Amino acid sequence: MKNKLFNKLKLMYENIYENLTNPRNVMVRSKKSKEIIMVVLRNVLLFGLCFVILFPTIQQISMALRAPEDVNNPAVVWIPLHWSLMNLKIAAVVLDYKNALLNTIKISVISMFLQILSTSLAGYAFARLKFKGSNILFIFVILTIIIPPQALSLQQYLYFKDLGLIGNELSIYLMSGLGMGIRSGIFIYIFRQFFRGLPKELEESAQIDGAGVFRTFWNVMLPNARGALVTVGLFAFVWAWNDAYYVKIFEVSTSDFPLLTMRLINAAEGMYAALFYTGGLDLIGQDVWENPLFLSLISNVAALLMMLPLLIMYLFVQKQFVESIERTGIVG
Amino acid sequence: MNKKNASTQLPTINVIPKKKRIRLSYKKQKVVMGIVFLLPWIIGFIFLFAVPFIESFRYSFYELTPKSGEIIKVFIGLDNYVYAFNEHVARNTSFKVELINTTLDALINLPVLLIFSLFIAVMLNMEFKGRAIVRAIFFIPVILNSAAVASALGGGDAIASLLEAQGIDKIFDLEFYLLQTGMSEWLITFIVGLIDRIYTILSLAGVPILLFLASIQSVPKYLYEAAKIEGATSYETFWLITLPNVTPHLVTVTVYALVDTFLTSSVSDIISDELNHQNWGLSSAMAWVYVGTIIVMLVSLGLLAKGLKIGGSHYEE
Repeated sequence: MKNKLFNKLKLMYENIYENLTNPRNVMVRSKKSKEIIMVVLRNVLLFGLCFVILFPTIQQISMALRAPEDVNNPAVVWIPLHWSLMNLKIAAVVLDYKNALLNTIKISVISMFLQILSTSLAGYAFARLKFKGSNILFIFVILTIIIPPQALSLQQYLYFKDLGLIGNELSIYLMSGLGMGIRSGIFIYIFRQFFRGLPKELEESAQIDGAGVFRTFWNVMLPNARGALVTVGLFAFVWAWNDAYYVKIFEVSTSDFPLLTMRLINAAEGMYAALFYTGGLDLIGQDVWENPLFLSLISNVAALLMMLPLLIMYLFVQKQFVESIERTGIVG
Repeated sequence: MNKKNASTQLPTINVIPKKKRIRLSYKKQKVVMGIVFLLPWIIGFIFLFAVPFIESFRYSFYELTPKSGEIIKVFIGLDNYVYAFNEHVARNTSFKVELINTTLDALINLPVLLIFSLFIAVMLNMEFKGRAIVRAIFFIPVILNSAAVASALGGGDAIASLLEAQGIDKIFDLEFYLLQTGMSEWLITFIVGLIDRIYTILSLAGVPILLFLASIQSVPKYLYEAAKIEGATSYETFWLITLPNVTPHLVTVTVYALVDTFLTSSVSDIISDELNHQNWGLSSAMAWVYVGTIIVMLVSLGLLAKGLKIGGSHYEE
């Protein structure tokens, strides 16, 4: 009986040993284990980084949803003790949210379209409608990418002052429409690379069918450039939304025409004063607003309010945006 | 003017010859339309770029003081430049210090940034579950990268100093929690430093990752297929196929990353501050120093790339 068991065990051992030493199996195993290690490492890294990216936003959302009184409670770290939308309400008052949001959307959308128009025209001209000297002009496009806006702002300010456009949103539109908006150079570059990558046959067949240059561009090339359009459109919108530089230089944000970025910066720099002047202090008790943590909390929530529309918009275009990278030869 | 108008007309087959329009050949039409297409940009370039750029160079040698609707200019030679380097002080730093710091930072961070974003781009290009979501998340820092949000998250100077006085730095203090776990101190400093920097790197890396991803995807698929059939590991395919095909675009990414690093640096903040305080001559001089630095860096990088033969396409052309 014992012997039989021993033999059985020995057989099993030999089987396992053979299985382990068989070179084919060794290969398969090592490849499989390598793959598993790769997958684990990749997932840990990618999801870890995703967490790092999302962490501030999650934290802000958690802050936004707690009652102001919870600020004084050190036990509240993540999950609010009292759920409330009070912080959001106060932050909205500080930012003059309704007006500022509408104005910001307006200025971003209009300058996005103007920028797309001017840069796609220029990009197409640089890619396909070459004439003597257009390559030299393109070097100037690269120059516009490199030169910081600070080197140009003074003279631009003086121009717009002469035109009476200081304190007027038209100054931003003029910059965008003339292809000198926020990082327009990069957009021209993207469009040029993209149009260069489209097959020449498209243009030729349009020409044979009797389309003029403009019609070829508008009806044939532009619809085919959807990838570049999505990329440029998203960036133009986002950068216009986040822009605090030009808006400040040209004094676009006024009390009649508030913009989110400027309101947020002003509020963050003097949160107490902002709360005082907008009447945000009346919404809560003194024991709360005397706590500096509360002021920092409101400025965090205000930042969330500014980013939220962008995040929601990104949620919708995100799929197209990621796909557009796949199809474009942005880099040519 | 007449010519331009005519060229916008479509040369359809049933154009009535009676009208006698000046019809250009398609080639000539292309040239004219090329100029028309570029017209907005050219106007913008001349008035909003070239003239201001040269003017700011001139201004950098002047002392400008605004006085009742006009600006009084006094020529002071190189004084603005000398002041910027030797005497300028802003808050707790100075232009010279920040310029040197930013340049060194850029030189050190640039390779890290390039390698990191290429690495991430390669990973995002692999097939795995949830790839679309991960990709979407990786571009969030690009969207949320704004000076306004950053200043609000920092809580502004006033609040920051108030909090510091009370001994509270952040609402969620990672360092504090790690200290409680009993880890050694240098490890904690390292982890906290890394985590602090991860977000900065990620927000700078967004567009480079995008460019690299597009570049990787423009590599012909048959190369990968052939490599797979020959039994190459993914490690080998990266070094022998992905990397050589991506290098032509390395120059684009480098230029973008460098310019971006400088644009978001404290140097450009100092220049805007001086601009807003109406120290126009000084800010022009600073801007020109900045431009000079960045051009020197780009030219030396370009020479380096030429020396190492990076930038030419690997297979075609």
